[in-house]
Amino acid sequence: MATDFLKSIGIAASGLRTQSGRMRVIAENIANADSTATTPGGAPYRRKIMTFDQKFDRELDAQTVAAGRIARDQQPFKTRYEPGNPAANARGEVQLPNVDMTVELMDMREAQRSYEAGLNVITATRRMLQRTIDLLRA
Amino acid sequence: MAIADVPLFSMLKTRMQWHQARQKLLSENVANSDLPNFKPRDLRELSFQQALGGPSAVSLISTNPLHIGASSSSASGGDPSGARRFETTPSGNAVNLEDEMMKVAQNQGDFQLATSLYARGLSLLKTAVGKK
Repeated sequence: MATDFLKSIGIAASGLRTQSGRMRVIAENIANADSTATTPGGAPYRRKIMTFDQKFDRELDAQTVAAGRIARDQQPFKTRYEPGNPAANARGEVQLPNVDMTVELMDMREAQRSYEAGLNVITATRRMLQRTIDLLRA
Repeated sequence: MAIADVPLFSMLKTRMQWHQARQKLLSENVANSDLPNFKPRDLRELSFQQALGGPSAVSLISTNPLHIGASSSSASGGDPSGARRFETTPSGNAVNLEDEMMKVAQNQGDFQLATSLYARGLSLLKTAVGKK
């Protein structure tokens, strides 16, 4: 009878796991926003993108979500003229990572919002479960 | 006589099971709120007739093989009316978190009402058998 509540909590938890994995990828991108190459003319850090993976969980009998594969953003790198930089190529241009701070911050907000919503669902479900148990004391 | 034979209790039991199933669906919606092309789902409202276990719906009977069957709107438990979609993100995801939060809160409140009524019914029975 009350296993459905536990399933609801399990589904919401899968969402939380995915969002925190996404947060990790975003943190990596922000941390490496200025990581240029160490060799002259080398490629800098390439932005990572996490994809979502929908899978049908047989145990929970529901659509859960999981962190999919991590792909690399194929956007072109930005370049800056800086001949003194050790990563500069023969023309004196340094390639900078294709990380856009605005995009990362937006992503972070979205992940945060979804995480909070998931927590809300877990709190509500736990209250409902508690009410069911309270019937024993009636 | 089992306690489930009392109509009040059997109805409340059905009601609580319905709320459980709905909570599971809402939980799915929230978990998949960032998945591309995901459409939120909801349960159809539980009707009084269904809760009583009576005939659920009036349907047309076909007395002639040439009759075109009048199908009901949706055979599954989904809500046929469709969600009021305020927003669909460019990725095609139609989950509206505020909407889902509202439904979760509503579902929780209604479930608590059902459990309170159940407890009240139990205490009425106890009074009837003379237990303080």
